[in-house]
Formats: sequence, structure tokens, C-alpha cells
Amino acid sequence: MADARTLSAALQAPLVARLTAMADDELVLGHRNAEWTGHAPLLEEDIALANLAQDEIGHAITWYGLRSAIDGSDPDQLVYFRDAPDFLNAWLVELPRGDWAFTMLRQYLFDAYECELLARLARSTYEPLAQAAVKVGREELFHLRHSSLWLERLAHGTTESKERLLRAMATAWPLLPQLLAPMTGAAELHAAGIWPDPSELRDAVVARTRSALEGVGLTVGPLSPASGLTDHRGTHPAHLDEVLANLQSVARADPEAVQW
Amino acid sequence: MTRWEVFKQDTVGKPYQAVGSVHAADAQHALLTAAHVFARRPSAHSLWVVPADSINSRTAQELATREVQDMGSTADAVTGTVRDEGSREQPYHVFRKSSHRRSMTFVDHVGTLEATSPAAALDRAMAEAPDAAQALAWWVVPAAAVTASSEADAASWFEPAKDKTYKQQSLYGAGPGGSSRRNP
Repeated sequence: MADARTLSAALQAPLVARLTAMADDELVLGHRNAEWTGHAPLLEEDIALANLAQDEIGHAITWYGLRSAIDGSDPDQLVYFRDAPDFLNAWLVELPRGDWAFTMLRQYLFDAYECELLARLARSTYEPLAQAAVKVGREELFHLRHSSLWLERLAHGTTESKERLLRAMATAWPLLPQLLAPMTGAAELHAAGIWPDPSELRDAVVARTRSALEGVGLTVGPLSPASGLTDHRGTHPAHLDEVLANLQSVARADPEAVQW
Repeated sequence: MTRWEVFKQDTVGKPYQAVGSVHAADAQHALLTAAHVFARRPSAHSLWVVPADSINSRTAQELATREVQDMGSTADAVTGTVRDEGSREQPYHVFRKSSHRRSMTFVDHVGTLEATSPAAALDRAMAEAPDAAQALAWWVVPAAAVTASSEADAASWFEPAKDKTYKQQSLYGAGPGGSSRRNP
């Protein structure tokens, strides 16, 4: 087992990038979910989405913290003072929240991915990561239950809910491979037992989500075998700027402030 | 959309307490939203949800009036669960509110018994409670109307709350004179 002090120098950069990508995914998704506050279709779901948002941002703090233990970076600086090209989140999480069907489908795909990933990371040879994965994984199971429940009800609800879900699928499903794409140094991290094999993880996530989506009666298109196999993280459609403008404006208004 | 009353058990051995209600499409959805709304902070061990119209409620004031004599048939009509002239016994959960303290919860679970109707269940519960006259309110719920969270889900539904400490405003240093202090 390794920790931040015993991690080999060659693995530091790939692990830092991987943890940053994970943290950025959770941060951006958390902020997109937070946009539902005051707008959800039911008061109870408004509270639920705020909870999900807080949980995802809490997970982001966990992953930024693991990065910080390796390179001494300051999570607040990473979140509030990096520009879009330095964020490593996947496209799926930065898209606008759309309608309820899109938000729930995106949440489902992300929850299913995280549950598969965290189950594997719980066996990581990098001990702080294995411990965090167990803790975060517990909470993600609850998230997955929530999003799965909505997937089922939207699919079997009304003609309109099904149509909305199908439209959401057309946008979200093709973005799944990018979320699962290996990053630079993936082979080395896998060889060291720190991170799972990206292609095995990808197959597991695609099989699980495809089966769940087909199980509620959706037709799921093929994913191009080549799509997502190269590392696209670090490029962003225009949406991330919009998220960051909102997220960073207060901190940037007075960068020297230590207390508000 | 159906309204569901939510009952929360804080730890093993503690009574289920009525904590409030949620609106949801079905029992499973009600349980999930109940976990979001009522179990976000510690502590919770288990949740029950019950359609609000399955609750047979009587306050001390209602029991003191003559209408009490007719409540059996009224309660049956409300629940819709006992239609066979009340002849068949089924289990009922009995809840009561005993004091005005702990205003965040309403009634506490005090027992489960077999009876032929909600009214009969309440009669028995009151006969068996030496301090029945002190009760402020009673709820009688057919056990069949309860949907419970599963034991297997407790770790993912309730355990994470134990790590989420509630942060008071003072933790952030906000407040009078506390705005925008700068590094020296």
C-alpha cells in the first residue's frame, strides 16, 4: 500500500491529473444540480437536488484534498482561480441542467459510473484513495437509487415524460465514452494497482447503464468503438465558462479576502 | 399527488416518531424523498411512510365529545382498509402524543395490536394504557399501510449523515464587522 509520502515520483503527475478530473466532475455537476434550487418540480425534489449538489461538492473536496496531500495545492485556489482550459471535468457534467429528464438521466449515468469506479477504487493500492472510495461510495449508492427511481418513472410515466427522456438520451448517451476515456498515464496507474483498467471500467459502466436503460424500454444506440478512447478532458464546449462565471465571481471580486 | 406521513426511528429500540410529511408518486418515491428531507442530519436508523389518508387520528378534544361513539365507522370509511364490517382482525400500529415537549415530532409509536377496526384498536390501546387520560392525541395505522426502508439500505441512506455536521453561521466568521477581512 502507498500513501502520499511513498508514492513514486513517476506516478504523481498522472494521479494528480486523475484526482483533479474526478474532483472537477463532482464540482461542476454539483453546481449544475444546485441550479435547481427553487425550481424543481416538487418541493421535496428541490430539497433532494440541493442535497445531491452538496454531496457532490463534498466529494469534490475529498478528491481535491487527496490531490493536495500529493502536491500541496490549495483546493480553493483550484476551484476559484483556474480558468476553463485548466478544468478537467467531462462534457457530460457541464451541460446546462436542461429539463428534469435530462438532469435525472445525467445524474443516473454519472451515479452508475461512480458506483462502478468507486467499487474498484476501494481496492486501490493507494490507501487514502481506497479509504475515500469506501466512504464516498456509500453515499453514491443512495444517489443511484434516487436517479434510477426517476429513470423508471420518467420512462413509464406519460408520453411527454418518455419523449423528454428520449431527447435527454440523444444528448447524454453519446457523451458517456468521454467520461470513461483513459487519461495520460492510465496504463502506469493501472499497473501500480492505483486506478482500475480504463477499458474494463468502460465496458462495465456501458453494460450496466445499457441494460438499465433497455430495462425501462429505451432504445440505446451503439457507442462508436473509437469514441472516447483518446483523452479529451481539458477541452470544453462553451458551457463551462458560464458555470465558472457564476461560481468564481465572488472569490475573484476580492482575491485577498480571507473572511467574508 | 399523495401525501405520506413519515415516521423516523433514530436508533434501534427507539420508537418511530411522526416527523412530518412528503408528497410523492408512490411509496418508494416517498421513502427516498423522506430520507432527503428528514434524514439529512443524524440520526436515523429506519423510516416508515404511510399514505396520509390511512392515518386514523383522534385528539383528546375529539375523544371528549360524543362523536367518539361513532368514530369506528368514520375511521373505517376514511381508511378504506376495513370494509368487511370490521370482522377480520389485522395488526394496527398505535401512536400517541404524550406531551408538548419535543415539538419537532408529533406522535410516538407505543405498540402494535390486532383488532377488527381502527376504532377497536384505539379502544384496546386506551384500555391498556394506565395514563390514557393524559394522552394529547392518538394515531392508529393499519400495519399493511406501512412501507419501511430496508435494513440493507441503512448504510447508504443514513450512515453518511453522521459525517455531516451542521455548521452554524458563526463558523464562517460572518456577521457584524466580519466582512472581507484581509490578509495582513
